[in-house]
Amino acid sequence: MHVPVWHNGTAQWVKEGKLAILGVTQEQHADRCRLFAQWQGFDWPILQDPINVLEALAVPILVAIDEHGIVRSTRPALAGFKADFLDKKFADDAPPETPRRTTPAIKEGSREPDWDALRALTKKNNTAVDWRNLGDALVLWGGDKSLEEAMVCYARAVEIEPKNGLAWFRLGVCHRRRYESARAQSTDFQEAINHWGKALDLDPNQYIWRRRIQQYGPRLDQPYSFYDWATKAEKEIRARGAEPILLTVRPAGAEIAYPVKALPGAATARAPDPDGKILRDVAGLVRAEVTVVPGQIRPGKSARVHIVLRPDPKWKAHWNNEAEPLRLWVEAPKGWRVSERLLTVAAPKKPVTDEPRILTFELVAPADAGGKENLALYALYHVCNDADGQCQFLRLDIPVAVVVRRGTP
Amino acid sequence: MRPYPLILVAALSLAASDFAHAAPYSPKVGRRHPDFTLPNIEGGKPVSLSDFRGKKVLLIQFASW
Repeated sequence: MHVPVWHNGTAQWVKEGKLAILGVTQEQHADRCRLFAQWQGFDWPILQDPINVLEALAVPILVAIDEHGIVRSTRPALAGFKADFLDKKFADDAPPETPRRTTPAIKEGSREPDWDALRALTKKNNTAVDWRNLGDALVLWGGDKSLEEAMVCYARAVEIEPKNGLAWFRLGVCHRRRYESARAQSTDFQEAINHWGKALDLDPNQYIWRRRIQQYGPRLDQPYSFYDWATKAEKEIRARGAEPILLTVRPAGAEIAYPVKALPGAATARAPDPDGKILRDVAGLVRAEVTVVPGQIRPGKSARVHIVLRPDPKWKAHWNNEAEPLRLWVEAPKGWRVSERLLTVAAPKKPVTDEPRILTFELVAPADAGGKENLALYALYHVCNDADGQCQFLRLDIPVAVVVRRGTP
Repeated sequence: MRPYPLILVAALSLAASDFAHAAPYSPKVGRRHPDFTLPNIEGGKPVSLSDFRGKKVLLIQFASW
């Protein structure tokens, strides 16, 4: 990988005080980057830009900046780095910096902006840019408690300016972050994907935005495995006698999948309840959340469907793990291909648990597809509820609508 | 009384108007790199590019993937 090569190639100069390295990570999860840095031995400061305020179109980007803050190379080569940059004397010969800030202003000596002043200014100006700016400040400096207010700001920005791709992207980031929090709403993941899709439609060359969708998307559309390195990193760090950085959201499913050139055909499987005889979960002991990535699929292209099944705390519902595993049956429309028709989730060893169970599969639309298509899915599970003490084997029908969008990709 | 009312409002007005003209990241050789402030992944403390003034800096934007 490019960055570790630079880290190793410049380590001596950093040690001698001739060079400072400043990293900026363009990803949502700071702890994943911390684990990566721990694994690679990066000992330089790394900043996080989860909402792409620097507006990088792709990564990695390396820029050599001299002691006056003047850019000397935007594509440095390690081979000539010492002679062409480190050993050179540069004059302070650039015009004064254009007063362009790329990140929200914070108070000198503080970790935050003056919120009252910033909110008042935003309200007064009432432009998409001001609302987006306030949203940026809330995400970067307001902490987790400010997420909902940031979402309101970005929503206002796109209401004023529907073609504001930056605001759409950042609104999507907020939804995904909330989805991974204790305040998750059942639609947050799909909304994140849809907002990122809108942003990418406005700027198809924005690869940072594209990667966010691909991170959760089908293997046919993945450029590489995003987080397959995490398990290896943890193992190697432990072998060195250290404890790896704990990941708050463990990469799984699409995030650790490898790209494929063709979707393997689904193995022959028999529908577990072909006649629909199993009792339906009419009380809603288990709730299903559906997310399709990308939000709109092109004819002949693929999508990944994420199904999350959660026992409803309202019923004090929980899985009965002593019975057979949870199953999901996928019935696709004619002409559509799916990676798997029958999916199962292995149960934990404990007899009773109430964790969300995640199942994902991929599908490919036929070349002549168009409009809205419906997939008929159902899950079969053993669930108990402490409200009345019953344990049942139930079926939950899960309709999945997939929108096929024709036109220019 | 808030500590920086006038300076901050001026800075914020500037920030807002500059955002209006924001463009994709494209630093120019021979020009000063625009300053920025972002949270450090270790603890979230704000760090600015200008904190490194006086040193030769290799700025690396990347992702672990």
